[in-house]
Amino acid sequence: METYLAITAIWGVYLTAVVFFVGMGVRVYQWATTPRSPVPLGMFPKPETKGARVAKMLKDTFLAPHSARIEPAMWIFAMAFHVAALGAFVGHGRLLAEFPVLPELLGEEGMNAFAAWSGSIAGSLMLVGVIYWIARRTFGPYKNLSVPEDYLLLALLLGVVVMGDHMRFIYGGTIHADTYREWFLSLLRLRPQIPEKILASNVGWSLGTHMLFTDLFLMYFPFSKLVHAIGAFSTNLTRSE
Amino acid sequence: MDAHTIETIAGVIDKKMTRQLKQYLDVCARCAICKDACHQYVGTGDFKYLPARRAELIRHVYKKYFDSAGRFVPALYEARDPDDNLLDELYESCYACTGCRRCMYYCPFSIDTQWIVAVGKAILIAAGRGQEMLGQLADAAIFKGENVEMFRDVLVSGFKDIEAEVREITGDPEATIPVDKHGADILYVALAGAHSIRPAAVIFHEAKVDWTISLFEAANYGYFFGDAEKAKLIAKRFMEEAKRLGVKEVVVPECGHAYRVADIFYEAWTQEELPFKVSHILEVVDRFIKEGRITVEKGRIQGRVTYHDPCQIARNGGIFEQPRDVVKALTDDFVDLVPNRAEQWCCGGGGGIVAIEEMRDVRLKSGSKKVEQLRASGASVLACPCENCRLQIEDLNQLHGLGLQVRQVIDLVVEAMPLPGNTAPRA
Ligand code: HEM
Ligand code: SF4
Ligand code: SF4
Repeated sequence: METYLAITAIWGVYLTAVVFFVGMGVRVYQWATTPRSPVPLGMFPKPETKGARVAKMLKDTFLAPHSARIEPAMWIFAMAFHVAALGAFVGHGRLLAEFPVLPELLGEEGMNAFAAWSGSIAGSLMLVGVIYWIARRTFGPYKNLSVPEDYLLLALLLGVVVMGDHMRFIYGGTIHADTYREWFLSLLRLRPQIPEKILASNVGWSLGTHMLFTDLFLMYFPFSKLVHAIGAFSTNLTRSE
Repeated sequence: MDAHTIETIAGVIDKKMTRQLKQYLDVCARCAICKDACHQYVGTGDFKYLPARRAELIRHVYKKYFDSAGRFVPALYEARDPDDNLLDELYESCYACTGCRRCMYYCPFSIDTQWIVAVGKAILIAAGRGQEMLGQLADAAIFKGENVEMFRDVLVSGFKDIEAEVREITGDPEATIPVDKHGADILYVALAGAHSIRPAAVIFHEAKVDWTISLFEAANYGYFFGDAEKAKLIAKRFMEEAKRLGVKEVVVPECGHAYRVADIFYEAWTQEELPFKVSHILEVVDRFIKEGRITVEKGRIQGRVTYHDPCQIARNGGIFEQPRDVVKALTDDFVDLVPNRAEQWCCGGGGGIVAIEEMRDVRLKSGSKKVEQLRASGASVLACPCENCRLQIEDLNQLHGLGLQVRQVIDLVVEAMPLPGNTAPRA
């Protein structure tokens, strides 16, 4: 287990960080250095002022109101997934430092219970979202639109979410954020080590596998359609140019 | 497919590469939210008409030649060399696309499939597989631009015939259709055919406008064909004419793409600032009615009237309200189609498809949503300011027995004007 964790939860994380940030940087650089079309590609109705354009872009990007009108079911699942993913992302912030304010209000026990609840909800929503997407892709009338990339991403994502949920639902009661934080901060200090408490429990296998999928997912991210996570702002701004 | 053609095709993508195109090709999630936006996919259920699929064909080639990940693991993206199958499908999906951009309206990333389809057409042209009819029509228009003196007499005598009709309608024996009038306020660029000139001439006459008519038509088959250079040359014919005559305003007729080309694309294509403004005829007519320069009376048009937003005028041109205001000035029984304005269904006749005989079948099928909308409105008159839309909707009208009068808006305006010679509607 120690070797497994060293690969996925230590060296894999470093490698992932490099690949992810360099990859995204290169992608953005490629976009930035390709000249814009001289032809305006906006559509109407279109806001007049720069501020209103940006506001519309943010609304279109985060709420996708038009997509909601045309395919409400997809919108609900996609929203649920993305919001849950954002929630999970924020939740992972506990790896860096305990949240301010909340623990004082809730106490340590209360905080862990709160994390358990919110984490469980986010984890479940993401799982439902991913399963819905896989089903939609596999059985939809337009399934031929999908390419292997789509399934690869969904498979990796399923791995990330299932193993994250596994840690949350199986070991959530015994191992808390402070233990994982010890590991994560050691990575940041470049003195990586896996805490005894993790090595002593089977949770190590879960963490290792969660990290394996996460590493692969994030390493592939910059080379996939998921660059929509930043490209969306630009393309949605083009809509009102 | 030989290496040379493949190289040519990759070269076209390279030449057409812009930041927007690259982002569109990179970010599409293949979520297929766009499927229900496209009247062609909805009307036929045929996979090749799914908007993202049209783009996907180009993406396959793009991934192979312009993306390191695609080169490294082509199978992941189905990255591949273009072959005859790809070009066959590209031909059908790109030349069928009406460029309505309804897919873009609903896409979570606002991906402009029409912009990608334009690259598809450029690829087809480079591979010698451009749509022939559209290409011929474009070349004919360019030929006319280069040899206008050859056509002048025929054109002017045609204008004289229409002038006689205008005199009859207005009851004014002095009414004219001015040609080549220097310093006029307005240059009206009509479509080929008296139907596009006569009512406009009546309105200009009644509004006492200092106007002149263009020797060229506003329709632009170069744009439909997918050759930006040709499209530019075709529009240039009347833009140069307008500059030469020193007019203050170029007015395009009831035609969708002509408006978008003239008002939105032309300056970007030529990188020059035009010394006059470009308007759609209905913007001008709306102005005349609101300023009281022409008189229209309600009650002359019988039956419930509805209005179809041509995609290139509304969603892609930004004119939503003026035509409605014009129509509402003619009748108390106006009803909008649902949905309307930016969400209006494309009728299925845009992008040059009405000129492509072999695509008649998909064109008629793709009108299913429009037929539903028209039926639900209960209208008996449709006001529609785009020639391609009118041709398509007239076909749908016949095919489905809708019993609809499909009319130019300016025809309805003239009909509602109290004029001596204004009796029956004219063909
Ligand atoms: C900010 C605006 C964003 C919008 C409008 C957006 C929209 C979408 C849409 C429409 C899908 C398609 C679902 C499908 O596959 O059918 C999708 C999938 C996905 N998005 Fe986003 N997204 C955004 C940001 C992000 C961000 C920041 C992430 C970061 C993790 C992300 C991760 C994903 C993932 C993992 C999928 C599933 C991939 C797949 O289906 O293969 N998205 N998104
Ligand atoms: S809606 Fe947009 S992102 Fe989704 S498949 Fe269509 S073009 Fe791609
Ligand atoms: S522009 Fe219109 S016709 Fe073309 S793919 Fe999009 S919705 Fe369909």
